[in-house]
Amino acid sequence: MAYGFEAKNDSGNIIINDTIENLHFIGKATRGSADSAYGDIPNYSGSNDTLDGRVVHTYTITCSGTPVAFIKPADYARWHSIIKQSVSGTTWTFEVMISGTSTSNPPDVYCFVNADDIPTPSETHGMLVFKSDGTSKTFDSRRQPLAITGGGTASAPPSDPTNTSGTPGTTSGHPWNYATNDHDFRSSNRYTEHSNSAANTSTAMFSCPSLAQACYKRQMHGFHQSCICYIFGWCACGYQDHWSTASWWVMYRQAFRFRSGKFDSGWTGYAAGYAFSSAYESGGWFGGGGGSYSSGTMPYTAKTINLQSNAYILADSSRYD
Amino acid sequence: MAHGLNVYKADGSLGFSTADVTWQTVAQFTVAANATVANTYSEIAGMTVIAQRQLVNVPPNAQEDYVPNVAVSNNSQTITVSPQSGLSSSQCIIHVLAQDT
Repeated sequence: MAYGFEAKNDSGNIIINDTIENLHFIGKATRGSADSAYGDIPNYSGSNDTLDGRVVHTYTITCSGTPVAFIKPADYARWHSIIKQSVSGTTWTFEVMISGTSTSNPPDVYCFVNADDIPTPSETHGMLVFKSDGTSKTFDSRRQPLAITGGGTASAPPSDPTNTSGTPGTTSGHPWNYATNDHDFRSSNRYTEHSNSAANTSTAMFSCPSLAQACYKRQMHGFHQSCICYIFGWCACGYQDHWSTASWWVMYRQAFRFRSGKFDSGWTGYAAGYAFSSAYESGGWFGGGGGSYSSGTMPYTAKTINLQSNAYILADSSRYD
Repeated sequence: MAHGLNVYKADGSLGFSTADVTWQTVAQFTVAANATVANTYSEIAGMTVIAQRQLVNVPPNAQEDYVPNVAVSNNSQTITVSPQSGLSSSQCIIHVLAQDT
């Protein structure tokens, strides 16, 4: 180059220059409310009632640029992901989902913004690098630049988010009013692992938005036919049909977990519900109504969507504490 | 180190140096639902480029939120964002990062 600034690292690769902006740490987002739910299937008790649970913590930070957010788990055994990011004016809101139902040990969200959009530091000394326009910054040593420790391509999690082999479906031929779930909707063993030497369970943090979603339902139809009346052992008045339907559903979002030397792409249940209905046809004097119960509505028909890989970036949180 | 650049934090500890690796940020833009956008950045020609996708303002439990596809082409200079084939796409933040490798 004829003029300007360029700094290369030990590998000879540019890490600061006067054309592309560096990311700088602007602070941790402020944690607000937490919503804990779905440690089990609502309004159902019986086999396979237990779910992984999830807590959604809400964080906010104010900045003029678009922040790149890193999640630093406090409990590395749990799954984490940013499931929603929105902005109002210059206030950004992140919804961070973690597995489990305990609101203790919430993660920290470290935010980085391009150099030209960092809040004006109060320090009067440092090194600034500007673009050729002389006003737009690409680097400002007064706010700590992002240094990464690892990363790569995070493959999509397995298409089937449920621990039981095979996705759940619909079966019929069950006894009337049968409502015993036979599918394990938990996701604890459904993930794709990535080896990465920067992955650890002490200071590592990651940036990798949640893309994949899934929704699955187990449904059982029950049926019974009874004789309305007998005369001399003969069904003289016809038959009365009884129907029932029981269904259990869970919606999932992609989530991530660190292990020593591993970065896992998996699932956490986000919402769940149970529905039961029972009815029988009119039987004259012996007839009557049915009944029904449901909790929540399955957001869409059973499927897995956005099953795509996504770039992930790892960094060391201790540099920014 | 024998030579290079160190940036220290206010407490005197090392914050950044030429021993580090980083991703630089090229652009951030928001793509409207169902839109197709192609942006070209000549300054990142030949670099390693990633484009992170983050869904925006999406009710996570009320609809099928399809993330748009992202393609990097033209010697890493052009980022094209478009709906998945045959599907509508939700509003999405695209964060383009580049690394000299």
